[in-house]
Amino acid sequence: MLLRRFYLGVLGSSFGLMTAGGVFTVLLAVGLIPRFAGKTHTGRKVTLYETMVILGTLAGNIMSVFDAYCMPAAPALLKIGIPKEILFLIGELLLVCFGLFAGIFVGSLAMAIAEMLDSIPIFARRVGFRHGLGIAVSAMALGKMAGSFYYFYEKIYLFGGV
Amino acid sequence: MENKTVYIKPKRNAEVEKEEVFLKDIAAVTCTDETLKTKIKALKIYRFRAEGEKRAVISSLKLIELIQGIEKGVTVENVGEQDTLIKYVRTAQTKGVLVWMKVVFVSLISFFGTAFTIMAFHNDIGIHDVFGRIYEEMMGQPSSGFTTLEVTYSLGLAVGIVLFFNHIGGRRITTDPTPIEVEMRIYEKDVDDTLIETADREGKTIDAS
Repeated sequence: MLLRRFYLGVLGSSFGLMTAGGVFTVLLAVGLIPRFAGKTHTGRKVTLYETMVILGTLAGNIMSVFDAYCMPAAPALLKIGIPKEILFLIGELLLVCFGLFAGIFVGSLAMAIAEMLDSIPIFARRVGFRHGLGIAVSAMALGKMAGSFYYFYEKIYLFGGV
Repeated sequence: MENKTVYIKPKRNAEVEKEEVFLKDIAAVTCTDETLKTKIKALKIYRFRAEGEKRAVISSLKLIELIQGIEKGVTVENVGEQDTLIKYVRTAQTKGVLVWMKVVFVSLISFFGTAFTIMAFHNDIGIHDVFGRIYEEMMGQPSSGFTTLEVTYSLGLAVGIVLFFNHIGGRRITTDPTPIEVEMRIYEKDVDDTLIETADREGKTIDAS
């Protein structure tokens, strides 16, 4: 049993190592963080952003792998005597933070992947338009937003796209 | 009169903080004649006039023309870039509350964005099913969801990230640049190339007349 457990540990750590390599190669190939840093003229702080990427991934990992063990945090805080209203407010604030910033990240990621695959320049060349690229990009953004709202409003996730 | 040679090495990208741009700001100069060298270094090559004007592209040919304008019969050798991108940065842009807020903003996107990405990835591959199956096959009993597999996976992920990014907090493991630093330089170079080529196409490059 102990030997098996050891083998399980070897398996787990190699899964983790390879996942880290895979996930971050994709993130880097897309080059999102340098772009954010470039846009905000804060290239000197790139190491801080890297640290945030590392911390974010670790936090996300703990929250999704040990999700069942992350739940009891709120009841425990309630028991200490922190009022429910304040807990709700903090929770809501965290949700807004998470939703907004994760949304910005995913939105940029989606566009960056489309751009990396050169689909936008190719389309622009095929259709042959020289002006109005700004309108096209705004239309894409609106389309993504509308699609996202529709997806959640119609509860498409319940049917898994069937 | 002997024939003098001046060597100039213009940069690809030069940031200036003053409206007036001198040759020494955008290029390295060397010459056997010290007085001529000082004169060339102090050559005024551009002045940012308009309010919103932030950048200019100057051709090395223009620099050569200007140098030959102050000393007839001098030979100029360019050992650097063909075109230089001059960026006018106001000092306020490098410090202050606004910059600090931008840093916080990008940090938050990096943190929550990657947290979401890894969670979505785990959800996508159904990590609990995969780990549950592996655990059951190995140990012959149902997984509790908090086993050696999950713990070592998380540790492995952390080690992998740290190896990949080559630093823990602010401390580097080796002296190599980190992958994001490399990407950052590549991105900056791409932007410079695009700006220089766009200026060239629009005929806005400051060139010899």
